[in-house]
Amino acid sequence: MKVSLFITCLCDIMSSDVGKDTVEILEKVGCEVDFPELQTCCGQPAYNSGYLKESKGSMKQMLRAFKDSEYVVGPSGSCVAMLHEYPHIFKGDPNWEEAAKDLADKSYELTQFLVDVMGITDVGSNFEGRVTYHPSCHMTRLLGVKDAPMTLLENVKGLEFVELPVKEDCCGFGGTFSVKNPVISEQMVEEKTEHVTETGAEYLVGGDMGCLMNIGGRLTRNGKPVKVLHIANILNYQ
Amino acid sequence: MSIQNREAFLNKLAENLGRSRRTEGVERPKWSVSPQWEVFKGATQDELVDVLEEQCKAIHTDFQKTSTADLENVLRETIERYEGNAIIAADDERNAEYQLDTYYQQLEAEGVEVHIWDAEKGKENQVFAERADVGITFSDATLAESGTVTLFNNKGNGRSISLLPKTYIAIIPKSTIVPRITQAARHIHEANQQGHEVSSCVSFITGPSNSADIEMNLIVGVHGPTKVTYIVVEDK
Amino acid sequence: MSIRIGTNSFEHRVQEGIKNDFMRGAVSSAQGRFRSGRLKAAEELGNWEDWRTLGEEIRNHTMENLDFYLQQLSDQVSKRGGNVFFAETAEEANDYIQNVIKKKNGKKVVKSKSMVTEEIGLNEALEEAGSEVVETDLGEWILQLDEDPPSHIVTPALHKNKEQIRETFAAKKGYDKTDKPEELALFAREQLRKDFLSADIGITGCNFAVAESGAVTLVTNEGNARLVTSLPDTQISVMGMERLVPTWEDLEVLVSLLTRSAVGQKLTSYVTSLTGTRLEGEVDGPEEFHLVIVDNGRSKILGTEFQSALHCIRCAACINACPVYRHVGGHSYGSIYPGPIGAVLTPLLDGYDDHKELPYASTLCAACTEACPVKIPLHEHLIRHRQIIVERENKAPKAEKLAMKGFAKWGSSPAAYKMSTKMARTALKPWTKEEKIENGPGPMKAWTDVRDFPAPSKQSFRSWYKTRKKGDEA
Ligand code: SF4
Repeated sequence: MKVSLFITCLCDIMSSDVGKDTVEILEKVGCEVDFPELQTCCGQPAYNSGYLKESKGSMKQMLRAFKDSEYVVGPSGSCVAMLHEYPHIFKGDPNWEEAAKDLADKSYELTQFLVDVMGITDVGSNFEGRVTYHPSCHMTRLLGVKDAPMTLLENVKGLEFVELPVKEDCCGFGGTFSVKNPVISEQMVEEKTEHVTETGAEYLVGGDMGCLMNIGGRLTRNGKPVKVLHIANILNYQ
Repeated sequence: MSIQNREAFLNKLAENLGRSRRTEGVERPKWSVSPQWEVFKGATQDELVDVLEEQCKAIHTDFQKTSTADLENVLRETIERYEGNAIIAADDERNAEYQLDTYYQQLEAEGVEVHIWDAEKGKENQVFAERADVGITFSDATLAESGTVTLFNNKGNGRSISLLPKTYIAIIPKSTIVPRITQAARHIHEANQQGHEVSSCVSFITGPSNSADIEMNLIVGVHGPTKVTYIVVEDK
Repeated sequence: MSIRIGTNSFEHRVQEGIKNDFMRGAVSSAQGRFRSGRLKAAEELGNWEDWRTLGEEIRNHTMENLDFYLQQLSDQVSKRGGNVFFAETAEEANDYIQNVIKKKNGKKVVKSKSMVTEEIGLNEALEEAGSEVVETDLGEWILQLDEDPPSHIVTPALHKNKEQIRETFAAKKGYDKTDKPEELALFAREQLRKDFLSADIGITGCNFAVAESGAVTLVTNEGNARLVTSLPDTQISVMGMERLVPTWEDLEVLVSLLTRSAVGQKLTSYVTSLTGTRLEGEVDGPEEFHLVIVDNGRSKILGTEFQSALHCIRCAACINACPVYRHVGGHSYGSIYPGPIGAVLTPLLDGYDDHKELPYASTLCAACTEACPVKIPLHEHLIRHRQIIVERENKAPKAEKLAMKGFAKWGSSPAAYKMSTKMARTALKPWTKEEKIENGPGPMKAWTDVRDFPAPSKQSFRSWYKTRKKGDEA
């Protein structure tokens, strides 16, 4: 299967290891992976802040970049959910409507792609440690991916899983929300990190870099020893 | 009776909806799903009685099941439990049918104050209801799922009977039990379509009054009755 | 009161909310209970998504034909001896009601809980005109005695603890017992009974009116709405113009959705459908009935992309699911409609000037959208509001606009974008210590005030990928 990697701007800049792991996992399960270099950001930071005009440039750039791809796979529920919004945004725009529909139809979040498209439930990784998982809001509610990450984590050898209390609660990231309403965001991320520490887990795992940066940043600020990992890190661990 | 400001108001709505006024010909579409009809579909009457009994636990309501012959005894026990010295009951054909009229006479002979709602007596009915210990009515339709008795209040069955006294007893002929509010609503809808006037007050009553307004603590018994008993009775 | 409450700035209100430990504890545990109640009630049905679809379809059809159904409703009410008044503004509604009371020479008004009467400021208007107005819902009564606005649309006194309530009862009504909820409630029952029996006017809201027969349906637990509509000789019901359903069959679906979503009950203790005046020979119920149908800004929403906001059945499920509401409480929203639906509705009804912060008081986590029993896409409406604030109202901060201009250039130019992936680490170097930033510059400050920011990777993904590819080829 031919897969184009949608790296997402956060992983591209902040945590290239997530991109590397994603590529290696996909190759391991037999995909031929390419990386369209023209891709930029999905446009979400501007779109969600109300800057429709300012977001469309990125979106069009993404439509161009992935025009010829068969499948587009990215390590983020939120960014992929954004791609799924494109048809809605470009509705009635004769130049882009078709392309937007096409991209939405072929785009998948990493775990969703592995489980739902490839039919894989075990990627053969080994990871020793006590792990809890934060299901990010956009991944679960907007993209509707709830079970796939759990299915894959269950089959990681050596991994001890602990459930995160009130896991479906937002961590307080919310993109620009975190800097526009820092006071509220602080309360939310504080509550989330309390729940994380309550579990006694050594690792917090998630599928969205934004949320992980938020929770992780609060954990280190509070001097908590919990390490934060992207699910791709775990699935590619030997 | 008067209707004021209607035309300008509704014209504006139509305009904002981007079309001309609709004054006729609107049909309700067939909805794509109808989950309300799936609830306890095909359940027998006995199964519905069980559902009702179970639901009574959730709504802080005492549940009794009896035969017509034994209704009097169950009622007596319940009234005693509620320390009922002043009783108000609806003026209902079913009082005779279930021999409650003779029972009420007997109660009076025993010194209990019994007031059968009497439209002629006007507000006196309310005054009695306000100081009554127990109010008694029949249920006109009983909703198993939610544990609800439905009253089509009328001039014999004043709204006060099930509202003002401290406690309330609903007598539920078994045949009035339906799966849920869906069936009762269809009945009213169809009667309305056939030109029957809907009762001025349809009361769906589910157990005693309650409130969670103080720190989310459930308080049973606020403005309406504080205790409720349902008595299901095999039909005559 | 009107829709707006308080005069403090949004930031100030939020600070106050966050400092209020009791309120936050109360809201948090209430949310927990509401949530599990709602989920359990939905689970019992098994096909909750079908129910939501049905709710949405009914609301949609009703709104698309609102003029038709309101006409039918008013005809039916009139046929059953009721008067109907269509009020375009709050003033018109209040004037009409004042006049009715004046004509009846009414002195005492008992009210059951109604958000729309809060919205139009009816109590103040009636008090000004010399009426005594008594709120009879327990929560509303507490707030009325304490002159405090509601903080929740279903349990309005959620922010108050029993000790505060005891004090209020003592100061205002001479209460001398404990702060046990049962005793407090019993006191309210005794006090308010007197008011019910002596009132000449009863005022209610309306959960749903039924167009086909003219019934006004009230959904309550305490029984006060039944008293309000059984004892006084004159009844006035006030409804937002969107609060109706075509038929009884639709009524039961929406009532089922409402009670399950609001409080996790299959039905509340009392669902009461009242039609017109009492009939010949009946003792209870009003001899005179008025239905006041209120627009007050709603019609502006019809026909716009916000139309589905009018589908709201005021169940508060979105409020109970909202993590922002949990931390800041209802009063922070500065509106009688708090939480997600408040953030959507308030700017629509009352303009952006005083409420432009509300659409941003959300992480767009969509917990609200998921909870809504009639599938209102609340988080999408919030994004739409933000677009309007930026583009039409031009109320966005300058620095933000500048940043977004920069974003637009960056995102549409692969070269600029690529450059940034290369430069990020170096650019942040001066602030980076041990692979993290604790005191970020400029716009990063708001982030690092609260949490650390990680240092960008040593090698960007792109350069790794390039090297790797070269290695493959070699
Ligand atoms: S928006 Fe939906 S969830 Fe919120 S109060 Fe209205 S109906 Fe309930």
